[in-house]
Amino acid sequence: MKKTKLNDKYTDKELAESFVFRSKLTPAQKAESNEELSAKRKQLRQSVTPKEVLLSRLLQLKYQMEDYLENPNYDNTRSFSFFLKGYVEMLNKKNKEFADDIDINQTELSQILNNHRSPSEKVIIRLEIHSNKIIPAIIWHRLIEKEKEYQIINNSELRAREKSHVRNMVLI
Amino acid sequence: MYVIERESNLRHQVKVKPLDDEDYKEITKSRFYFNWKTERAHDVYKLVLGDEILGVMSCRHHEDERIEIVLLAVSKDNRGRNKKYDRITGNLIGFACKEAMKYYGINGCVSLVPKTSLRQHYMDFYGMEDAGRQIFLEGGSLLNILREYEL
Repeated sequence: MKKTKLNDKYTDKELAESFVFRSKLTPAQKAESNEELSAKRKQLRQSVTPKEVLLSRLLQLKYQMEDYLENPNYDNTRSFSFFLKGYVEMLNKKNKEFADDIDINQTELSQILNNHRSPSEKVIIRLEIHSNKIIPAIIWHRLIEKEKEYQIINNSELRAREKSHVRNMVLI
Repeated sequence: MYVIERESNLRHQVKVKPLDDEDYKEITKSRFYFNWKTERAHDVYKLVLGDEILGVMSCRHHEDERIEIVLLAVSKDNRGRNKKYDRITGNLIGFACKEAMKYYGINGCVSLVPKTSLRQHYMDFYGMEDAGRQIFLEGGSLLNILREYEL
């Protein structure tokens, strides 16, 4: 009865623009349709181009980076270097080759990858250009910021050390 | 990700977020057609413009690297020829594609079981591929949706 009301009010085109309705298939029909789908997907995978594979890998990495950035929790395993390693591995490049690609010294790249050096602005801009703007510099930048923010909030050693340099503290 | 206000042709930035428990009060049958409380077992998302919910979608992950769109509805004001905003459904489907890409990479797939009378429309609007009773997005067609919805 409800369906009729919708059908009276909207054309099929308008319904497709507004709804996906619950499937009415029986479990047996669903299983059969899953097999059909599986066969079609297998067939389709044979026509996937190397460019599509590369774009998918880039997007997958970008979405994982965005996902981590949206999560309010800090995870020290998901650092800038973790994602950069993922980027270099995804491209099947050796470190030297990749350092050449973005015109930095291999030692600099190695220090960044091992968390011994923070990447400069020029590096993150070059990363954006290297990915053909698929992964914008701002995403790389936010990873660095998230790390810094965590360190600033939690660095009690630094606080203890710096306290001796402060006089006339505001008394409230 | 944006919707277009039909009257002004202006673009408005929108977001897709997981549905909160308190949202169920807002997504009533009169506004979003279905009883969404039955979908609590699935991943349910809302498309919002500011605080206003424009569309809702329920998804289910399958073991074969696939996300099935189980149910989707745009708000009552956004259906038919007098709707306020365009691109709500496309953005929600695009979001499902983004999730599929994030979890499964190039093998990620988004599928749905269409009503027979609507299947060709979904295929025309979103470039969905025919798989008999189901239609789906994967590989090139899924990437096209991601491009179109600026994800």
